Amino acid sequence: MLKVEHLTKVYPGGTVALKDLSFEVSDGEFLVIIGLSGSGKSTLLRCINRLIDPTEGKVILDGIDVTASKGAELRHIRRKIGMIFQHFNLVKRSSVLTNVLNGRLGYLNPWTSTLGFFPADEKKRAMDALKRLSIDDKVDSRADALSGGQQQRVGIARTLMQEPTLILADEPVASLDPVLAHSIMQYLEQLNKEDKVTVICSLHYLDLIQRYATRVIGLKDGVKVFEGSPAEINREKFKEIYGEEAQDVRATALE
Amino acid sequence: MQKYKPFLKALRKLLITIVLVVLIILSIRVTEPDLVKLVSSFPKAESIMGQLLSPVLFDRESEKITVSQMVPVPCDSVPSLVSADSGPRIILDPPCGSPKDVINLRGVELPPNAEISLRWILPDGGLLSIKNIMTDDKGEIDMPLEIRPITTATDGKAAQISFEVTLPNGKLVVAQTLKDVIDAMFVTIFMALIATTLGTIIAVPLSFLAASNITRRGALGTGVYYLVRAFLNIIRSYEPLVLATIFAMIVGFGSPFAGVIALSITTAASLGKMFSEAVESIDTGPIEAITATGANRIQVVMYAVVPQIIPDFLSFTIYHWDINVRISTIIGFVGGGGIGYLLSQRINTLQYSQAGTALLAIILVVWALDFLSSEIRKSLV
Amino acid sequence: MTDKKIFPKSLSVLLSIILPGLGQVFQRKYRSGISFFIAFATAFAVTLWYGKPIWFIIPAVIWIWNIWDIVSFPKGKGLVIPLLLWLLMAYGIGGQVTEFNLQALFSNFSRSRDMVSQLFKFDFVQPKAERIEGYTDIQSPCSDFPPAADHEENGVRVYVVQTCANVGDVITVIGEGFWPNQLTTFYWQNPIGGKAMATEATSDANGKVTLEWKVLSIVHTTAPDPTIPQIHRIKVSQSRPIGGMELSAVGGYIVQGIYETLALALLSTIIGAIFAIPFGFLAARNLMTANPVSTVIYMIVRTVLNIVRSIEALIMAIIFVIIVGLGPFPGMIALTVHTVAALGKLYSEVIEGIDPGPIEAIKATGANWLQVARYAVIPQIVPAFTSLTIYRWDINVRSSTIIGFVGGGGIGFFLWQWIVLQDFRAVGSAFVAIAVVVVILDFFSAKIRERLV
Repeated sequence: MLKVEHLTKVYPGGTVALKDLSFEVSDGEFLVIIGLSGSGKSTLLRCINRLIDPTEGKVILDGIDVTASKGAELRHIRRKIGMIFQHFNLVKRSSVLTNVLNGRLGYLNPWTSTLGFFPADEKKRAMDALKRLSIDDKVDSRADALSGGQQQRVGIARTLMQEPTLILADEPVASLDPVLAHSIMQYLEQLNKEDKVTVICSLHYLDLIQRYATRVIGLKDGVKVFEGSPAEINREKFKEIYGEEAQDVRATALE
Repeated sequence: MQKYKPFLKALRKLLITIVLVVLIILSIRVTEPDLVKLVSSFPKAESIMGQLLSPVLFDRESEKITVSQMVPVPCDSVPSLVSADSGPRIILDPPCGSPKDVINLRGVELPPNAEISLRWILPDGGLLSIKNIMTDDKGEIDMPLEIRPITTATDGKAAQISFEVTLPNGKLVVAQTLKDVIDAMFVTIFMALIATTLGTIIAVPLSFLAASNITRRGALGTGVYYLVRAFLNIIRSYEPLVLATIFAMIVGFGSPFAGVIALSITTAASLGKMFSEAVESIDTGPIEAITATGANRIQVVMYAVVPQIIPDFLSFTIYHWDINVRISTIIGFVGGGGIGYLLSQRINTLQYSQAGTALLAIILVVWALDFLSSEIRKSLV
Repeated sequence: MTDKKIFPKSLSVLLSIILPGLGQVFQRKYRSGISFFIAFATAFAVTLWYGKPIWFIIPAVIWIWNIWDIVSFPKGKGLVIPLLLWLLMAYGIGGQVTEFNLQALFSNFSRSRDMVSQLFKFDFVQPKAERIEGYTDIQSPCSDFPPAADHEENGVRVYVVQTCANVGDVITVIGEGFWPNQLTTFYWQNPIGGKAMATEATSDANGKVTLEWKVLSIVHTTAPDPTIPQIHRIKVSQSRPIGGMELSAVGGYIVQGIYETLALALLSTIIGAIFAIPFGFLAARNLMTANPVSTVIYMIVRTVLNIVRSIEALIMAIIFVIIVGLGPFPGMIALTVHTVAALGKLYSEVIEGIDPGPIEAIKATGANWLQVARYAVIPQIVPAFTSLTIYRWDINVRSSTIIGFVGGGGIGFFLWQWIVLQDFRAVGSAFVAIAVVVVILDFFSAKIRERLV
């Protein structure tokens, strides 16, 4: 479904974030990307939905060249790709309902939605999404009144509104404590298994990787250094990807 | 080098102190503070303060009596009219005269011990004050009067000599001053309201142009950014009163409009700066998230930018309305209109008790609006 | 839910008819009730004050809307329409009483264009020149025995052949001892020193200049009685460049005005800050509300600070000008008083916001009261005090540019005179000087404050 070919991103100032990266993702996969901070994970995810324009290479989604599209076509591609962020990226002063409805903007008439009107059936869809993530009781709260785990669930509900075929999750649990991390990952897994949504997710914790991933790609300095099943990742591989000094933490994570 | 650091630090402190002391001495020399004068003018200050602190709120109602008598100059220029025989009246002896003659003026059956303002009504209708005089116990005055050349009859019309007597009759009413002050206060509040509204409307687009995260992209954007910033800074360097002088010269003195325009422009500049800082401090996360859902640019602005800035914008605007009411109290000095104009007129004519009424009104209104605006702002955050 | 229905709806409708919002309050919709009351009361007060009957429609409609709102309780009709009506009234009446008229900005276009073009011909410097001057006094209108109009000084003689002048006469003014073949300026100065007429003529090869001058009625405009003879003065002068530039008269006044402005601002800030410190402590809630006596002091100080703060420095300046006379001194007193009030309030907020943690910590080490103040309190407040003082200095520089409008000294004093005299070149120059000085100081004060934080 998704093909990434020779992707390279050089930032103004010369930092090379991705170097000649190629891989494929097929339907229904739960692909996890691992690597140190700054290894290019966030850049890669943002190149897929073109929040960042790659310097070279192609991203092809369902046969459409994402890297060549622009304007309305790009927006139509984007609305089929959900995105979940480390810091949730909710509009803090807006209500939970408005934040969830924001996920539908790509489908709505630009004029009426600009004035702040949402059709009743969209509101119902938003309520359903909130129910599914069991935070429908917070519908009228302001987003910044919620805890981190609740905010991330609102973020997932916003993504659900897009009826996505692909979800990009950029370290979705890095700002949460381990118990909440599992609950958020379970929602993603549910989407992946029940709704057959392909998920590409960047993660740090080895236990989460081995529990949820169907395939793993390791990045180091923008270069792919590992590709395989989660079972293939052992202490040595981890050390290779994360570097020597990370060993102790990794060790505890493995146990 | 490290060894010298404390020494250098001390030296820097010493230098700053010396510069400051020199500046203060220079300032004292040019400002010429005269403490002796301040102390010696204490009785004067006490009397002014005493009057300011006893504002006029109510008044005894009074009546005005006007009495006038025609004076033909020279004698045969106009047929002389017979004066009344009873009631308050003026008796001239002789009843007419030539320029530079001195004739006798008597006023009879006037209220006793009342102040009378005595004046010429010239043939062309102009007024020429002579003096203020007190009547005696019997309600009479008696004084010599010099006939001035300017009172010569023209076009068959003679000059008149006229008295005006003000008599209190004891009824307590709301003083005219208080009515005037309330009137001027309404105008002042409206000046602030209109200036704040106009200023805000201008400030919103300017603030986006002056926000580095929105505008500073590419050569053109950077140019616009610096241009707008420079413009805002220059305008902000002027007191609204200074700008009001320019607009008063264009639209004419004597109308509050000049002040309103000046105040709108300074409001636009300072709100533009404050708004642009609010725009610069917005969280970019929501913008990224909403762009990722496939929303277009307008939708991104509406749903990711606007909800973040609206409370700040509203809060700054209300805060500025508060400031503008305060400035409006003085903007009338230049343009005319509003409480400031009234206040300066009352002070210039030495009517300090009436000025006290205006001051009282200013304090009450500024205070009330201060309270109101801070309450509203608290509920916005 | 049930106790909401205890209060009968019909009664609350009646209450809302009597007083807008009252019924809503009894139905426990406090926000909407109070809003209706405020909207109606303010609209009614404003229309009553303005007095034009047509505007009474607005409070009337708000009243009707309020009744409709309570009748359709519990759903209500909302406040959007009353709010819009209220704004319509506020801007409608506001526009009229402030004589809002954008057209006026452009209607005098030719006049304002001349004015604006003058504004941009700055007048700071002029070519250096030397001058030669003479004058004679002359009587106008003529009395029976007019004094001779002839005056000689430093080898320059100016006389009028006719000895005196009535309006409409043509007089012959002769000047001797001037530079030869040079443009010569003639001024007619009325008895109070105003410039009544001006013209030019050229001197001959011997340095003698002759002018036939018609006396216009304008020379008597300031006289209380134009029939009384008075002494006027005719001034004759030449000037020629000698190379180089110097500050023009206006430029000199601007330099002096800016200097005075800066001095005023500096002194009033420093003196004001010193006086503000004790007030700041007396107005700090956390220090002063421990016992009833200090609470009373706290409330009195707060009230006085608030009252003084609400009176603009310019208004105080008028009063001080009357008390101590014209000049920078009354302006300085006014600015100082205002600074004390404003800084006192800000200082008190800083003191209220200090962190009690360090105080506790230092106390725990066994330090005495003075040591606690020195090591736990002062380090916390000094940077904030300094920053606020510099910020205030910035404001004072701006304020002191206008304090001269009422005779308080500084650039404003000259600016106001130039505005009254319509000397637009000088006005434009003063504007540039103000902008340059204020922008530069603004920049430095921002830099210093950044370093302090």
